[in-house]
Amino acid sequence: MSELGMTPKPDGVIAKTSRRVAVALTMSVGVGLLMMYGWSSSPSALFLRTSILGLSATAAFAVFEAWPRSLPRWLERWALQVVAVGVFMPMTTLLIYALSTPPGAAPFWEVPARLDGWTHLTFAGLLLAPWTALATIVRQKEAFARDQKLAFALERSELEREALDARLHLLQAQVAPHFLFNTLANVQALVDAGSPHASAVLRSLTAYLRAVVPLLHEPAATIERELQLVRPYLELMQMRMPDRLQYAMNVDPSALKVRCPPTTLLTLVENAVRHGIDLSEEGGRIDIDIDRRAERCVIRVTDTGVGLHQSAHGLGTGLTTLRERLQLIFGDTAQLRVTSGAPRGVAVEVDMPAQT
Amino acid sequence: MNLHATALIADDEPLLRDALRRQLGTVWPELEIVAEARNGREAVRLFDERHPDICFLDVHMPGLSGVDAASHIGRRAHLVFVTAYDHYAVQAFAQGALDYLLKPVEQARLAETVSRLKERLQSSRPAINTEQLLQQLSEQLAKLQGGGKSEALRWIRAQAGKTVRLIAIDDVDYLRSDAKYTIVAWRDGGKPAEAVVRTPLKELLEQLDAEQFAQVHRSVVVNLRAISHVKRHDNETAEIHVKGRDDVLPVSRNYLHLFRQM
Repeated sequence: MSELGMTPKPDGVIAKTSRRVAVALTMSVGVGLLMMYGWSSSPSALFLRTSILGLSATAAFAVFEAWPRSLPRWLERWALQVVAVGVFMPMTTLLIYALSTPPGAAPFWEVPARLDGWTHLTFAGLLLAPWTALATIVRQKEAFARDQKLAFALERSELEREALDARLHLLQAQVAPHFLFNTLANVQALVDAGSPHASAVLRSLTAYLRAVVPLLHEPAATIERELQLVRPYLELMQMRMPDRLQYAMNVDPSALKVRCPPTTLLTLVENAVRHGIDLSEEGGRIDIDIDRRAERCVIRVTDTGVGLHQSAHGLGTGLTTLRERLQLIFGDTAQLRVTSGAPRGVAVEVDMPAQT
Repeated sequence: MNLHATALIADDEPLLRDALRRQLGTVWPELEIVAEARNGREAVRLFDERHPDICFLDVHMPGLSGVDAASHIGRRAHLVFVTAYDHYAVQAFAQGALDYLLKPVEQARLAETVSRLKERLQSSRPAINTEQLLQQLSEQLAKLQGGGKSEALRWIRAQAGKTVRLIAIDDVDYLRSDAKYTIVAWRDGGKPAEAVVRTPLKELLEQLDAEQFAQVHRSVVVNLRAISHVKRHDNETAEIHVKGRDDVLPVSRNYLHLFRQM
């Protein structure tokens, strides 16, 4: 696959080749014009010679760009190309002059005018061609760096978009209509009944919404912020299923300032409620333990609900997205582990670097 | 004419049971609530004990859902489904012309439902919820909400001693079938690890994302992202070397075309 990727596109090759030929011909004509002064035979012969020289330099450059396929470690490809172009110049000139000597005539070095032309052409070729080759290489390297920079930028924006998608997705899940309407139904029930609890429940709902809404704009939260979200959530859920949900939190104070992706803790707790407790007729207990051990922060949410076997499907989205977001931010240094609890239920653990 | 009717209310949230009871008390004072159930199973049991005329069933309940309970009750009572927000359920109820209420329950809407129920009871018309209709409803909901069957597998459940562990599908390097089991070679926080699952390889393969996983041999499915390189042999076979592992996986002739361009 990588080989396939390295082969340039056909139209790219044509564009590159024609650009090089154009440069070579322009320079050949330029050199020809300069040499017109003092040239004794026909100008067309001069231009023909400079053009042949230019094109042969281009050919040498192109040939050694790809051949041989592997080079010894001490030899850089660009050096080989420049040297090859440099060697080709006198050789080609020699060839031109040898071939253009009519049979039986004296060799060109014995005719002063021809020797003069040969010297001039070789000199011009040696002077110009390697430098042009070098300039081409520099330009190519720059273009490559530019392409790469662009590719990196593209990749980064892609990652950012993915992160944003994940966050939006999560937000939609957090203010899920089912949760909101169910909670509102409870609030209404309490208000209708004139219950003194109504005001407390409304306070929890307000606290929950106040904590969840700004998450849309924040790339990172802290454990402390997460707790501000999870506490009212659990209060609301406990009000809704008073006989089925118990919970306890055990938070290491030194972990409060640790940064984490928004709704990390909420995702874990919500997963425990929805896929563990809510599916169980007798309910269960949720334990939240947050520990900081030197450079690591471990968040552990354990429930005694129905367990992995019964909540066959549905465990997916929340935990999967959280896992992806952790990977996006921490790479391999963060882990999300899901294990079955004993004797039942599920334990989910996030083990991540403690950044503050 | 004074109509005496009995009803059952099933909801896992106590506050909402109380609320519906109170609201019914206002809209239909003569209705006698003979039973309150906390889940589907209790609803079924209490229905069999008390035989109420009407059942108010919350759709979302632990264990047996409201729709499951309804299938049991069948046409022996008039049914009203109650749900907080469930696009699919509401769609299904509307299609079956079944009665349903949305939480929080609005008094006006409840009054409408009540007058419909009274009408049916008075004319002693049979309940509209035929078994066929309930069966359809149950299947429709399972299909719409579950939806997960066709979705790609995201976690593999693996046994390790007495505990079950979920392995994220992205962490899996390859799967290899071995007699009765499937061996899952995966990465536990970057470190190579292996687990055993009972699900046959063929069944797992069906649920995997075809963009990410490819079968390369009768007994091997590999995560394409885990491949370090592929070595071809002269005899129309090849071997796959896996990133960060010493393992070499066979590629059989039938699957060689996957790596033709490499």
